[in-house]
Amino acid sequence: MTLTASSVADVTAALLSASARRERISALDLRAMREVLEYTPEDMTVSVEAGVTLTQLQARLAEHNQWLPIDPPGANTLTIGALVAANKSGPRRFGFGTIREHLLGIKVVLADGRVIKAGGKVVKNVAGYDLCKLFVGSHGTLGVIVEATFKVLPRPESELFLKRASAQLDEFAPLLQQVNQSPLTPVVLDLHGSRAGHTFVLGFAGPREDVEWQREQARALGFAESAALDYDEALRQTSEPFQVASVLPSKVIATVKSLDTQTYVARAGNGLIYFRGGRSQQRPELPLKLMRRIKETYDPKGILPDLPW
Amino acid sequence: MTGIAPKPLLDSLREIVGAGHVITKAEELLVYECDAYTLEKQLPTAVVLPGNTAEVQAIVRACAAHKVPIIPRGAGTSLSGTVLAVTGGIMIALTRMNRVIDLDYANRRAFVEAGCVNAWVTNAVKGQGLFYAPDPSSQPACTIGGNVGTNSGGPHTLKYGVTTNHVLGLEMVLPDGDIVWLGTRPDGGEDVDGYDLRGVAIGSEGMFGIVTRVLLRLVRAPQAFKTMLGVFSTVDQASQTVSDIIEAGMVPGALEMMDQLITQAVEAAYKFGFPLDAGAVLIIELDGLAPGLERQAETVVQICRKNGAREVRLAKSDQERADLWKSRKRAFGAIGRLSPNFITQDGVVPRSKLPEMMRFIGECSRKYDLRIPNVFHAGDGNIHPLVLYDERDADQVRRALGASHDILEKCVEFGGSVTGEHGIGVEKIDFMARQFSPDDLEAMRMLRRVFDPEGRCNPHKMFPGSKRCGDFALRKQAAA
Repeated sequence: MTLTASSVADVTAALLSASARRERISALDLRAMREVLEYTPEDMTVSVEAGVTLTQLQARLAEHNQWLPIDPPGANTLTIGALVAANKSGPRRFGFGTIREHLLGIKVVLADGRVIKAGGKVVKNVAGYDLCKLFVGSHGTLGVIVEATFKVLPRPESELFLKRASAQLDEFAPLLQQVNQSPLTPVVLDLHGSRAGHTFVLGFAGPREDVEWQREQARALGFAESAALDYDEALRQTSEPFQVASVLPSKVIATVKSLDTQTYVARAGNGLIYFRGGRSQQRPELPLKLMRRIKETYDPKGILPDLPW
Repeated sequence: MTGIAPKPLLDSLREIVGAGHVITKAEELLVYECDAYTLEKQLPTAVVLPGNTAEVQAIVRACAAHKVPIIPRGAGTSLSGTVLAVTGGIMIALTRMNRVIDLDYANRRAFVEAGCVNAWVTNAVKGQGLFYAPDPSSQPACTIGGNVGTNSGGPHTLKYGVTTNHVLGLEMVLPDGDIVWLGTRPDGGEDVDGYDLRGVAIGSEGMFGIVTRVLLRLVRAPQAFKTMLGVFSTVDQASQTVSDIIEAGMVPGALEMMDQLITQAVEAAYKFGFPLDAGAVLIIELDGLAPGLERQAETVVQICRKNGAREVRLAKSDQERADLWKSRKRAFGAIGRLSPNFITQDGVVPRSKLPEMMRFIGECSRKYDLRIPNVFHAGDGNIHPLVLYDERDADQVRRALGASHDILEKCVEFGGSVTGEHGIGVEKIDFMARQFSPDDLEAMRMLRRVFDPEGRCNPHKMFPGSKRCGDFALRKQAAA
C-alpha cells in the first residue's frame, strides 16, 4: 500500500494501522508535508518537512544567495525525503559530496510509530551515535523520514562548465591524468557519451577570479566550448532503467570500455558509471548479516519495504 | 588483579600475542587508567597489544568466551573518558598496529592500520600535494582508529568536514569475533550498496567493535593560503566578526578564537608575539586558488575593522603561518601554566548565538569564581571553554562541575549540542537525556544491540543509567 500523510501524526497512525493489519508499505506520498520549518541564513542551516521538493528548497535558499549543493536529476518532483532515502546525487558530487555530507539532523517515524530524531541543528555534533547515516540511502526500509535539517552553503559567485569532445574514449585517458595533476579544482569531472562519440565535461565554481583563471587553464587543455549538465538528466531521468557501476576512479575509462554500453555518464572523479545497455558489474560482498539484523531490529514485523540489496 | 579476567583468559591472551604484549602489572597499567579526561580513573584488568587483525579477532573471541568486557584504545588522547575501563576488562590497545599499508595517489586514498598516528598520514603524502583533512590538536599523537571512534574534528573542519567526511571504509572486528568490512573497499569504487554502516560506526565511541584498518580519503592541498591574525579589544567584537564573516558568504578554511587568558598563557609558554592586552584574537585562514584569495582577504580585513579590530596581521611566509598554527594547537598544553587541572568543554551553538554564548561563559566564570579561558572553533560555533580548578580543593571541583554543567545546559537551550568533537564518553552521560528523548536514545540502543548484543564492547558509556567508577561517585558526593 502507499502511505499518504500530511503530518507526522498521520504517518504514525498509518504505520500503526499497517502494523496491526500486517500490511507492507510499498510507497510513500508525503507531498502534503511541504513546509520549510526553520531557515536561519546567518547560521546556514535549514529544516524542512520531507515532502518539500528540492526545487522548492533551492528557491527558498536562493532568496539569501545560498544553496544545498546537491543536483540530482528530477529536482522539481524529487522530495527531500526521497532524496535522503535514496541518497541521490548529480554531477556536482565531485566538488560537494553527497547528501550525507550536508545532513545535520533527521526526524523519522519508526515502524512501531515512535517518532525519533537524530543529529541536530548545529554544524558539528557528536552526541550519541550518528543515526542520520543509518537512514541515508536506506530506501525507506527502517522508518519514514518526516523532517531533515541541512547545512547549506553560499552560492558560488561564479560557475562555469566546459567540454571537449572526442570520437575515441582512449584519448581522454591522458587528458584525465593531466587534469588531475593540474592545479585545477573542478567541481564537475564527468565523461559521457555513446558509441558515436564521447564528451569530457569540467565544471568550476567559486570566486569569479578563480573561475576565470581556471577557464584559461582549461582552455590550454583543449576545453574551449561551454557545456550544459543536461546529459545527466537525459540518461537518468527517463523511464528506461539504467545500471550503475562503482569502480576506482583510475579505472573509469577502462571500465566504460569493458561494459560495452550504449550510453553512459561517468563521474570520473568518483569512479561512478551510470549506463544503459551493456554488461552488469559484479558487486562487492556486503555485510548482509549485520544489515538483516538492523532491518529486523527496526522493523520486526516487516511492514516497511524489504532490503533491496 | 581483579577477579574479572580468569587466569585461563590471560593465558590465552599471552598465547595469542606473546607474553610481552600482555600488560597485567598494576604499575604498568597506570598509563591506561584514564584518557585526557582525568576526573575518573580505573585500571583495566589487562592491556593487550595485538599486531594484526587476526590477533585482534583471537583476543576478541577469547574475551567473548569468558564474557569479559573489551575496551578499544588508541593513544588515549580522547577528552571524555571514552576509553575508561569503568568496571575493568581487557583493553585492546591498537598502538602496535600503526602502519601505513598503502598510499594510492591516483585515487587519493590512504589505507592505514587503526593505530597509525593522524599526522603521519599527512606527512606521508605531503610531497604529492595531498593531505588528510581532519586535524585535531592532538594530531601528532592521536590515532586514526581513535579518530574514527570519536568522529574527530579540528580547526579545519569548517571547510573540510570531520572524520566521517574523510573515512571511506573500515575493517571492524565485531564483539563476537566476526570480521566485517564497512563501506568502500581499498580496491573498490566509493559507492557500495546497503546501509551506510561505515557512517554509523564512525563516532560510535568504540561500542560497536574494534576498528582494525581504515581507508582514508586524501584531499588536494590548497594552492595558496591567507592566514590572518585579528586582534580585538573584546571577545564580543571577535564573536561578532565571526558571525559577519560567515554571513558574508565566505567559507574560510579555519576560523579560530583565543581569548585573553589563552593568548597570555600561550605567549608565556612559546613567545609568539601575541599582544598581551587584547581581549581576543581570531586566526582566520582562507585557502584555495590564489587568484580569488586577495579580494576575500580584503573583505575579511574590512569586517575585522568594522568590528573594531585593533590590528589585522597577515602571515607573510609559510613559517609565520606554521608558527601561528603551532600557537593555536599548543594552547591546551600552555594551560598547565595557569592551573593544575582543567575540564575542557566542547559544546556547540548555532553560529549566530556565539556572542551571547561567550557572554554567558563570562557570567559563569564570575558566578563560580573560576577562570575559564576559551580557545575554540568559532566558525563552527564549537566552543572549548577550559574550566580551571585544583583537584585538591573539593569546593573548586564542585564549582568546576557546576560551571561546566551550566555551560552545556545553555548549549542545549540554544538548540546546540553538548559535544562537537570530543564525544560523550563517561563525562557527559547525564546530558544525553537533556539533548535526546527516551525514544531517541532507545533508537541508538537498538543499533548498539545489533553490533554488540551483550553490551560487552566499551561498556558503561554514552547512555544514562550507565555504571560509574566508584572513585568518581565518591568524589562527586564529597564535592556536593
